[in-house]
Amino acid sequence: MGQPILRTEKLCKSFSSSGEQQHVLKNLDLAIGKGDFTVIMGSSGSGKSTLLYTLSGMDKPTMGDIYFGDRYLSGLSNDQLAIFRRQYCGFVFQQIHLLDHMSVLDNVLAGGLLVSKDKKALTAEAKRLLTQVGLEASSWGKFPSQMSGGEAQRAAIARALINRPQIVFADEPTGALNSATSTQVLDVLTEVHNSGQSLIMVTHDLKSALRGNRVLYLRDGVICGDLRLNHYGEEEPSIRNEKLLAFLSGMGW
Amino acid sequence: MHVLKLAFANIRKTPSAALSLALLILISTLLLNIGLTVLFSLQVFYEQKVEELQEAHAGILMRQEEYQPEQLEYLSNYPGAVKALQESVLLLQSARFQYSGSELSSALMVVNAGAEREFPNPKFSERLESLSDEDIYLPYRFKVGGGYKLGDTFTLKLSDQAYSFRIAGFYESALLGNIDMGMIKFMLPERGYHELENELGEQAEATFLSVRLENSDDAPGLIADYSRQFGLDAYFGAGFFWTGDVVTVKSANTMTVNIVAMILIAFAAIIVAVSLIVIHFRIINSIDDGMVNIGILKSLGYTSREIRGSMILQFTGIAAFSGVIGLLLSYLAMPVFGGIISSLAGLLWTTKLEVPLNLASLLLILLTVLAVTRWSSRRIHKLQPVEALRGGMAAHSFRKNCFPLDQSGGSVIWMLAGKTMLGNLKQNILISLIIAAVTFASVFAVMLYYNIGSDRTAFIHLVGSETADVVVITQPGTDSRVFMEEVQAMDGVAKLTIQDILNTEVEGRRYYTQVTEDFSRLDNDTFYKGRYPKYANEIGISGAISKEIGKGIGDQVTVNVQGRSETYLITGLSQSINFLGLLVSMTTEGMEQLAPDYESSVFNVYLDHEDTKGFIAKLQGQMGNRLQSVTDLEEVFNSQSSIYTAALFSVMLLILSITAIVVILILYLVIKTMILKRRRELGIFKAIGFTTLQLMNQIALSFVPVVAAGIVLGGFMGYLLTNPLLAFLLSGVGIFNVHFSLPLSGILLLGAGMIALSYIVSVLVSYRIKHISTYELITE
Repeated sequence: MGQPILRTEKLCKSFSSSGEQQHVLKNLDLAIGKGDFTVIMGSSGSGKSTLLYTLSGMDKPTMGDIYFGDRYLSGLSNDQLAIFRRQYCGFVFQQIHLLDHMSVLDNVLAGGLLVSKDKKALTAEAKRLLTQVGLEASSWGKFPSQMSGGEAQRAAIARALINRPQIVFADEPTGALNSATSTQVLDVLTEVHNSGQSLIMVTHDLKSALRGNRVLYLRDGVICGDLRLNHYGEEEPSIRNEKLLAFLSGMGW
Repeated sequence: MHVLKLAFANIRKTPSAALSLALLILISTLLLNIGLTVLFSLQVFYEQKVEELQEAHAGILMRQEEYQPEQLEYLSNYPGAVKALQESVLLLQSARFQYSGSELSSALMVVNAGAEREFPNPKFSERLESLSDEDIYLPYRFKVGGGYKLGDTFTLKLSDQAYSFRIAGFYESALLGNIDMGMIKFMLPERGYHELENELGEQAEATFLSVRLENSDDAPGLIADYSRQFGLDAYFGAGFFWTGDVVTVKSANTMTVNIVAMILIAFAAIIVAVSLIVIHFRIINSIDDGMVNIGILKSLGYTSREIRGSMILQFTGIAAFSGVIGLLLSYLAMPVFGGIISSLAGLLWTTKLEVPLNLASLLLILLTVLAVTRWSSRRIHKLQPVEALRGGMAAHSFRKNCFPLDQSGGSVIWMLAGKTMLGNLKQNILISLIIAAVTFASVFAVMLYYNIGSDRTAFIHLVGSETADVVVITQPGTDSRVFMEEVQAMDGVAKLTIQDILNTEVEGRRYYTQVTEDFSRLDNDTFYKGRYPKYANEIGISGAISKEIGKGIGDQVTVNVQGRSETYLITGLSQSINFLGLLVSMTTEGMEQLAPDYESSVFNVYLDHEDTKGFIAKLQGQMGNRLQSVTDLEEVFNSQSSIYTAALFSVMLLILSITAIVVILILYLVIKTMILKRRRELGIFKAIGFTTLQLMNQIALSFVPVVAAGIVLGGFMGYLLTNPLLAFLLSGVGIFNVHFSLPLSGILLLGAGMIALSYIVSVLVSYRIKHISTYELITE
């Protein structure tokens, strides 16, 4: 594992529902390595998405501490967290969440213009990223509703990368896609990871999980398994598949 | 029943939106009802008052020596006359008294309150219980407009004599209760009357002839016929004759109130339009947002009619409820308007239950709400359950990516605001139009007040008054040429002009005629078309006369005075608010052709200093026995216009307040709906790093151009259309050309204020973005 980019100490997250406290994350001590592609798995309701969004500053922990490098995130206000996100994080959502009324290129630029004032350089970077994720120039002016799910998700990945984030958070990025487009999206994420980008991805899909080099298994708000793998493509797929299945089977998946 | 439940469920879902809509409907019903009630009730108010007070429909006042029994006989036998009476009264041709803080000069008729008479019987609005010999009874207008109350001391100045009385009562009079009809009636108890009669002697003895007719509308005709019959063509200052009728009084006094009522109705219409637009968008949005629910209801067996019925019930229910409250509140607000009417008319306005008008106001609003609700919800009819369950058809039809971020200049917040603005173009155009409408109304109201209440130059020009400092009327027999030379030579006199008003017959109709030696010497050129008469064979007529006699510039008219006729060429059309806009203009030379023995006796004196009172004292000292009356014109103007100023100030405040309420409510409703609709989008913005403040700014800024466009349009319309609109509204009283103005800074200030208000409101309403969490993005 590289230098930790993110770490938590005694991280807790609770929700109150009908007057009752529901403890979703329980005293998590966790370190995410720089340059790692960390996959979080777990059954439904295990708290994996909650963990992802708490780590990314989209939500605040109920208790415990989160450090991003040397920055202490737990005490930041909502607006401070927003500024933190725009500077250091990228997001890919299961529901894609591109802005409907903007073109693909504008969707990518909208976040970028918050950080950079050099519009020319930023536009060039956006176009480079869109090309990188496999979107032709002819589709840059399209609206999300005019694109396929796979194309839209790839545009969302380009958006996540526009500010050269230190870490990308992906929440079930292939959850709403069919098999063929899922592979395209996963290939893009793998390529991003191979370029040295840190990623954290929540998934319950085995094919997606295989792309990571570390798999965490969450059960009832507690990390109960941590599997280390080589980078995707560095070992035989069947061996990698076997390792993961064995790990998951041990977790009762 | 289930439709009712659905309607209540809809209201419960967005109670604050329902409340704000209810507030809009409430305000519009309130204004509409007040406007309609005032407009329609005012028409019958005078007639009812005249009946209630058993007053004369027409009156003629003259010096005792000018009265002949044939005059009463003529009136008694006049077709349609019910009763004609003769009464001995005292005539004070130039009395001075305090009115609303200024000294006012007017002709007064003093009657014996104790005398037995068939009519008119004074009806007191209030009266002291204990009586004394020093009592006086004043018209009700002195209470509501003059600043007097029961028990106050009232001082009457005649030349250098002052008479003090105790105010023992205020009475109503439609014919003689006003300060701006050239004659006011005061009443004294028997003993006080005789004391004054003895003191003033024969010179004050006068006769008042009063007539009641079957139809009060015939009163102006009676006065015209009487004048023709008894040759009242002579200048009225020489042999005193005053004539008046209730129709003339009514039109003079109801003009301002009618304009106010029309403004209220127009404003009600604007607010109804705002409410209907809000309803339209709320229905469209609730269909979009509740698409799946509509699908579920349809699949459960609800018919389109029932689902639409719930929406119709929801909005008409809100409209009915708030409309009824608006109607009730209008009765609380009516006394305020009643007060304005009372102060303008000098008659006590009592608010009555006007059920047909109330129902008409309510029905008008309910029907428009019903029609718009039905029209806006028609889409439900076409929706198939499966289509609705799938969230409806993708309704996005983006034709253009407005403000592309890679090409547009400016900060990202401004560009996104631009996208938001153009993304809701249809809605924003409507908002702009609403803002334009309220801005127009505000500019109209501010302009009206500014020109009547603050800088009166244009108003004085409009009403056709001459801006002299002093008006002097000389005694009959005074040599006008010598008098003019002497006054002209006095210190401080900048200019002196003749301003006689005589009666002439033009094309067989009787009109007041202003005569001056040279119209170019007057400060106020009242001719809006053509030019004033310059030569002896020329004449000017007002626009209202031009309409009446069907003659215009270049035409010739025959003028008759005391049986002598001459033909004159019409050179121009003038306007004046006096004499119902019916005024003829001639030069002294022109008049001398008709009346060789004509002698000028009314003069305008223009001073080159401010000390008007000092000049008047000096003039009275120097010319005492040649003067019949001397009037400080500015004081008269101030005291007469104070009530109009107060009324217009109230209307201006009301309109500015309603404008602010409309701006606040519409932005509140639109932004709230927008935030609800764009919840997901705003969550995404937050996720990618936008702060709450940036998003609030984005929304607020997206409305600034919309509001600004409306303000510019409305301000421009107000600036350009206020004068034509006023001319249209005032055409009935002879005004055809209005030149009101408002300093550009005033309009800019108003616009800047409205933009600032809308920005602040937008920011405050969009503060709820703070509560939108990015976390919602993963709970979908």
